[in-house]
Amino acid sequence: MKELERVGLPTVHVCTIVPISQTVGANRIVPSVAIPHPLGDPTKPLEEEKAIRRRLLLKALEALQADIEEQTIFGN
Amino acid sequence: MRLELHKVKINDIKWGNTTKVEDKVLYINQEEISSLLSKDDRFECVEVDLARPGEKVRIVPVKDVIEPRCKIEGEGDVFPGFIGDVEGTVGEGKTLALTGAAVVTCGKIMGFQEGIIDMSGPGADYTPFSKTNNVVLVFTPRADIERHDYEAACRVAGLKVAHFLATKAKDVSPDEVSLYELEEITKRSKELEKLPKVAYIYMLQSQGLLHDTYVYGVDAKKILPTLIHPNEVFDGAIVSGNCVSACDKNSTYVHQNNPVIEALYKRHGEEINFIGCIITNENVTLEDKKRNSSYTVKLARMLGVDGVIITEEGFGNPDTDLIMNCKKAELAGIKTVLITDEYAGRDGASQSLADASPEANAVVSVGNANPIVKLPPMERVIGFSEYVDIIAGGFSGSLKDDGSIEVELQAITGATNELGFTCFSAETR
Repeated sequence: MKELERVGLPTVHVCTIVPISQTVGANRIVPSVAIPHPLGDPTKPLEEEKAIRRRLLLKALEALQADIEEQTIFGN
Repeated sequence: MRLELHKVKINDIKWGNTTKVEDKVLYINQEEISSLLSKDDRFECVEVDLARPGEKVRIVPVKDVIEPRCKIEGEGDVFPGFIGDVEGTVGEGKTLALTGAAVVTCGKIMGFQEGIIDMSGPGADYTPFSKTNNVVLVFTPRADIERHDYEAACRVAGLKVAHFLATKAKDVSPDEVSLYELEEITKRSKELEKLPKVAYIYMLQSQGLLHDTYVYGVDAKKILPTLIHPNEVFDGAIVSGNCVSACDKNSTYVHQNNPVIEALYKRHGEEINFIGCIITNENVTLEDKKRNSSYTVKLARMLGVDGVIITEEGFGNPDTDLIMNCKKAELAGIKTVLITDEYAGRDGASQSLADASPEANAVVSVGNANPIVKLPPMERVIGFSEYVDIIAGGFSGSLKDDGSIEVELQAITGATNELGFTCFSAETR
């Protein structure tokens, strides 16, 4: 993540434990579902889970394009 | 609450015609142990073996270690929710402990998250369980068994045998009796009230996927932080169901002998007023981490403590629970000391914890889990050594043709135990 940003590629960290993301210095942070399943929720019906995945991905794409001045969390 | 711990010292372990304790020797009758576990149809078979300090024996892969204990007076029995009933609570009366003996459970549950115990050689220096006389249970599960069921079966089998062994010493007079008594929090003497009030925040591994701890039989991931009397811990109210890295797993044995609680008791009435223990968990969502750290610190504030000691279990995301507990307590005006291990790389130069905060300004490190240790071949291996290559801390080629092993310290059971139940220490002055 840091190396990607160093060469000028904006990077989004999709991460469950946001404080760790902040500590390690991510600039664009999208909070995810849970550590064993960051991008989905196996307890939900498939349709609902697909919606969760789509929401997280769109949020990440939005974060990638945002103009930011400091570490920013792109929550719900 | 008042608990007498009757310690029967075990200096040796031998096979015998009957399971008994005589002249500090624990005699094991293999059939008795086997028949105790034969009713559990989750096992294909259970082998019983013995390992003594100093022998050229390696035990791998180790799941849990348990000290044989049973109640001899007072409500309930040890390991409530598993062995003892949950009608009533433990922590009062008299408990018998076979000190110097341990039950070691051994099975390939996760493969990569069980550990190594060497009874001699350089590896033995790193694990406290090279100094105990071990009854080793090696489990082969039924082929179709699901892993969570296998873990549960191994967990209960270890507790059953530990309890059974202790009951065999009920007629033996103890070598030592330790007394643990803590007055009711609101009814303490003026002298005690003058001392700094200290509580212990006791973090329990609860990530799920076989990283679990049980309190009175309840899965700790489902609890809100709560109070527990230190004596309940000595009676096995907290049981390990964990398959985390071996070095910083809190084995049931370590819970039963929690050195932080021992140390707080020792200073109670002298340097501090030991208020009690708050247990909390290490769950896998940010919401749970926020809720449970807030709730933990709220309990500490309700108790009006001046300071807390916080211990962690495992590493990685639980570092965030540790830091959240610390930060919220410090911001509430409660001083904190943290006990944790480090994953600072083989050269010790990397960031030690996954999370950090300026409020974490008093930390006791129990060691770096990443340095490489070389373990020479042993004459006998109890268990399944083919798992060494994939054990956490191992790598392809860890197990050499001659039976020697090259692994990170994290593969050794209890090497960097975060309750401080470790063999080495160093201090700077």
